[in-house]
Amino acid sequence: MKDTIMACQNLWKVYGKIVAVKDVSLRISEGEIKLIFGPSGSGKSTFLRCLAMLTPPTKGDIFLKGDRLTRSDVDLNKARARIGFVFQHIWLFRHLNALGNVELALRRVMKLTKDEARERAMQALREVKMEDWASHYPAQLSGGQQQRIGIARALARKPDIILLDEPTSALDPELTGEVIDTLRDLAKKGITMLIVSHEMPFAREVAEEMIFFDEGMIVETGPPERFFTNPDSERAKRFMARLIKRTRRD
Amino acid sequence: MEFLIERLPQIINGFILTVEFTILGVLLGLLFGIILAIGDLYGGRALSSIIRGYVEFFRGSPIIIQLLIFFFTIPSLLHVIPNSFVVGALVFTLNSAAYQKGYIKGAMEAVFEDQMTAGLSIGLSKAQTIFYVILPQALRLVIPAWTNEFSSLTKSTPALLAIGVYELTSVAKGITADTFRPLETYAFVAVIYLVWISSVAKIADVLYEKVKIPGVEISV
Repeated sequence: MKDTIMACQNLWKVYGKIVAVKDVSLRISEGEIKLIFGPSGSGKSTFLRCLAMLTPPTKGDIFLKGDRLTRSDVDLNKARARIGFVFQHIWLFRHLNALGNVELALRRVMKLTKDEARERAMQALREVKMEDWASHYPAQLSGGQQQRIGIARALARKPDIILLDEPTSALDPELTGEVIDTLRDLAKKGITMLIVSHEMPFAREVAEEMIFFDEGMIVETGPPERFFTNPDSERAKRFMARLIKRTRRD
Repeated sequence: MEFLIERLPQIINGFILTVEFTILGVLLGLLFGIILAIGDLYGGRALSSIIRGYVEFFRGSPIIIQLLIFFFTIPSLLHVIPNSFVVGALVFTLNSAAYQKGYIKGAMEAVFEDQMTAGLSIGLSKAQTIFYVILPQALRLVIPAWTNEFSSLTKSTPALLAIGVYELTSVAKGITADTFRPLETYAFVAVIYLVWISSVAKIADVLYEKVKIPGVEISV
């Protein structure tokens, strides 16, 4: 059995009276790719941010390679440095060029020398096929290119896991392909990923497991084939039917 | 016009004082303004109210009153003899910081939300994100407001006469009293102010263009 990279147990996130994440437990092993999907507003993004400790959970535990991140004395900056995060709206550093975006954490968090950081940042840019755009600024790049830089930024530190929050849903349809291709490359390299996405053909191709999320809870988990043919839960059935109909229309 | 040439050394001395106080005030005010903006944004409620009170005082009272308080009231309470240069520079700094804090805080808030989350997500601390991500963007946005601050502080320098600093306007007053030629004297001095302020504004424009983030169009 492969080592567990990330796990959470009975995770809750509550904002006042709103329960965004309700008692969620999950485990991801090394090299595994899991895909979370479900209706918008179902708490998927909040859940992902909890895992990355960008929003501390209200209750429950998160483990990264056996270290409990939810301990009160944990160094959150160090914990976050071990997790890659890719945002739906990309959120590159606007004042830095592509190389600068990727380099920043290598220099200031990992404290690599200038040359080492440059070397490694260029390596990450090569992995997303953006090495020729290293000196371009975010505003000079297309959405798809920006998101590839966003992926390189998450990748460069060689994190234990990369969490991706709908990495293609803010992009124009014709730009999603290049981002999906990049993710496919990462999948081939065995990078552990937890992805929130509704890119179903991609999910079918790379995901070991799909997780259907609704109303802050995991409703059903299983291999992609089961979701595409005959999911157990009524809610998942209905959601898949809608998704597939929409994809066909596109 | 000969009398003006004769008095040129005096005028230049006055101008240098004007420039010194303005530059000191704007630059030290920028540093202190950054600290105040960060304190207001992240320092918690108590610090934030203190900073707001401070800003209210320096924006809500005439600079001449501030100079008098720092030159007469406070030193007499502390039993010290004030130095007019030190007090002038201090008051100009504190006054400018109160205005600049507002500009800087506004600009930081404009870039804050997503950039802070992105900074934390790569393992930077909050302080590092402010230093490496938020401030470099916010300060670029502040440059146009900063030009205004510079011009307005320059025009506040005549108040320094109240604590015995003979800057440009006071020198002009002195020359007028000696020569009874107010028309030429004040016109000449006005031109000096105008040339100085517009040159600095021009430099700020060039700087603004130079540090503009490529591809980003901001119209201010």
